[in-house]
Amino acid sequence: MPHLRFTYLLGFAVLAAFLAASAAQAHHGWAWATDEEFEITGVVESARLGNPHGEVTIDVDGEAWVVEVGQPWRNDRVGLSKEMLSEGREITVHGHRSAREGERLVKAERVVIDGTNYDLYPDRDS
Amino acid sequence: MIEQALVFVENLAFVSALRNSTFMYPLVNAGHIFGVALLVGGIVPLDLRLLGLWRQYPVMAFVDVLRVTSALGLALAVVCGALLFATAAADYTGSVLFRVKMALVFLGVSNALILEQVLKRQDIRGLPMKARMPLPLRAGALLSLVVWISALVLGRLLGYF
Repeated sequence: MPHLRFTYLLGFAVLAAFLAASAAQAHHGWAWATDEEFEITGVVESARLGNPHGEVTIDVDGEAWVVEVGQPWRNDRVGLSKEMLSEGREITVHGHRSAREGERLVKAERVVIDGTNYDLYPDRDS
Repeated sequence: MIEQALVFVENLAFVSALRNSTFMYPLVNAGHIFGVALLVGGIVPLDLRLLGLWRQYPVMAFVDVLRVTSALGLALAVVCGALLFATAAADYTGSVLFRVKMALVFLGVSNALILEQVLKRQDIRGLPMKARMPLPLRAGALLSLVVWISALVLGRLLGYF
């Protein structure tokens, strides 16, 4: 039956498209980052908090790094607010950096501002 | 000018509330996925029937039912999608993936409206049960399949790049 073969072909094409999509680096979870603990200190350039997760751009010796912080409830839980991430504040980030070579992107487990710890992922070692 | 409009949209009170919400954002996200599921889940069997699959079943059963569920799914996906867009309007507007996706959605909707007109003019109810569909219908169905599945894949890629 030629029609049945067409169905298989179409099914295969859709499946292939999905596999290609899921092989792309997923920024949810931790799979896209290295397993190694990473620490970096910089000065806040800009911050955008909110869904699906906040993004803080920091300046580290003239290079811009992007720090992924939590979704709103996770930031609220530890009291990490937009005001604390105002431009010029020094921030130390503990977390995991992107496994993609040369990409200046870190997912934060814990950040330190003015000596205070904001532990976004208390269940994870940081 | 456009940038100001996008910032204005992002700063609307209900948009800010959605951006910083705990449950509303994932629920609107779920609404968008439900809409896409209804849309693509209806359009795929409908297009395949128009292309010649399942000829032992009357074509009008596919057309009458799946056209409605697909349109409802599209409406839901557009409403929820507009809300998601509003929470980061400037970022989405700057994304090439997003622009291509919007172009595909526009193409898909236009194609569906044209198919609707073709269906009105061609009396496919009068065709024999197992007849092959007229060429404009088959061409439109094939385009529809490619466009909507591509729009879905691009939409998913948006979250990762």
